[in-house]
Amino acid sequence: MAAGYSIVGWNGFKRVYDGMLALGLSLFVLAHFGAGLLSAPAGQHPSEIQLLIRATGAAAFSLLTIILCIGPLARLSPRVLPVLYNRRHLGVACFFTALVHAGLVVLWYHGFSEMNAIISLLTSNPRYASFGGFPFESLGVLALLILFVMAATSHDFWNHVLGPRLWKWIHMSVYAAYGLLVAHVMLGAVQGETGLAQAALAGGSALLVTGLHVVAGRLEWARDRTTDLPPEGEDWLDAGPAEAIPNGRAVILVPPAGERIAVFREGAKIYAVANACRHQGGPLGEGRILDGCIVCPWHGFQYRPEDGCSPPPFTEKIPTYRTRVTGGRVFVEPVPQPPGTPMAPSMAGEAG
Amino acid sequence: MAEEPFFVGWSPELAKPTRRFLLTAGAGLAVGVGAVGLGLGAAAPHPGPGLWDQGKKVAVTGTIYPGPYPHLLTEDLGDGLRTVLLVGAGKDRVTVRPALTFTGAAVTGTLIERGEHAMMAVDGVYPDPAPGRVLPGPEKDLGDAVMTGEILDAKCWFGAMRPGHGKTHKACAALCATGGLPLAFCETGRCSDGKAALLLLNERGQAFGREILPLVADPVMVRGRIFEVAGLRQVRMKLSDIVRL
Repeated sequence: MAAGYSIVGWNGFKRVYDGMLALGLSLFVLAHFGAGLLSAPAGQHPSEIQLLIRATGAAAFSLLTIILCIGPLARLSPRVLPVLYNRRHLGVACFFTALVHAGLVVLWYHGFSEMNAIISLLTSNPRYASFGGFPFESLGVLALLILFVMAATSHDFWNHVLGPRLWKWIHMSVYAAYGLLVAHVMLGAVQGETGLAQAALAGGSALLVTGLHVVAGRLEWARDRTTDLPPEGEDWLDAGPAEAIPNGRAVILVPPAGERIAVFREGAKIYAVANACRHQGGPLGEGRILDGCIVCPWHGFQYRPEDGCSPPPFTEKIPTYRTRVTGGRVFVEPVPQPPGTPMAPSMAGEAG
Repeated sequence: MAEEPFFVGWSPELAKPTRRFLLTAGAGLAVGVGAVGLGLGAAAPHPGPGLWDQGKKVAVTGTIYPGPYPHLLTEDLGDGLRTVLLVGAGKDRVTVRPALTFTGAAVTGTLIERGEHAMMAVDGVYPDPAPGRVLPGPEKDLGDAVMTGEILDAKCWFGAMRPGHGKTHKACAALCATGGLPLAFCETGRCSDGKAALLLLNERGQAFGREILPLVADPVMVRGRIFEVAGLRQVRMKLSDIVRL
């Protein structure tokens, strides 16, 4: 949260998470490298650098696949939310792994010559008009640039400076990077090999990521349809009976226009705030009220339900909404108040 | 039904069910990651038996011929007369002073060997009258051939790269061809075995120039005539007889 920045806001969970990440990456690269070295007939194994190029390329691609699976999996099961919590560290690790892969490629395939290695990289295969002969290296370069921009702006400082909307757009370009990398593998390693392992990796991963997003998207779409639209002449949305909202939790409303609204109950008090967290757009309505604050389920950002402000010294603010309780049912006016606007809670016990 | 624990990343407490889930998922992921790594590594294509031992310096004597690519004819390597192609240490040709060609010479450097093929990354060339002038012997005409396969740079394929063929190697092959390294042709399906590749030359028996670059490392069909000179087979053809597939 925005109250002074450090390079990494370390805590115990992040340390364990990053340790497991380092272990997993090392295990993958070592297993890949070792199997490549030992499975070949004596004296016929690929060169060590080429094995490292393959291992780091496959590791970066697989890591990005895992990263892209986390979002939809967390939509399907909240148990996956702890994995999402530190996802940015996976992204930065993915960029550095891809950078090692690219560095080795430039050194090995484009070095040891009088020609500049970068010029060689961009000009050695001019067959841009061909599908099968397409210079797949350029796709990898583009993907690496996107991953670099994402890694460089992954810190909360940049989220704060750029604003959550622009920051989110920049980081949604991960899908473009992934598409480029699938094409990079398909038009590169897959073209040059008779085996199906690389094709299975790229194709299977792309199918997995697409499938999970479709399933999670359908679920989200079905949830969004549960909000009852207001009757003719009535502007307020019906959030249902107050007692149907679990204590300390929320229901999420989808207004006919505008952003989703999270309607919380804390004892008899009813509050409504914007559903999107100021940080990365996490679904506040799936969070809880803990110690008097709404806590985002993604990264633990906190907001006071009565005014949408983060508790001092933090400075984030989200819009609030007017509520009323009539006949035991909660109604919300779907007009967002400016972020940080105090809003007195409706009392579930008094009405009805 | 027990309520699902709510995870707060910065909280020092981690609920037991969450901890159990993360440990199980982490262990499963580690096994999966290791298995995928092993599978992909084992599926890496084998480049064949080429070898370049850069730590083993050798000196070979014989006679240097400047064309079509600089090469040394020698009897030092056993099996009678052998052709040793001469190249620079990187991806560039070696330049031999004219005074050292067509006469006895000693070449120092490191050997790149693959099956019956030999190449030398040259450190130095010195006059050496001992071997006298080694002659290539008569040229054998082995007739016409139509083949499909790949044009590759001989240095990488002999053992400098491992593997030194295929699309991922195209940029490197183009760089080597630009640098004047010998080009060879290997038939489809035989790039990874230890069998012979053919030195690729134009119809006059000379090295191709930059006009060959767009065709390097692509699947091609060639129509040419095969010759054998001093134990090394060549295929000679017009550029127009190379068709990209």
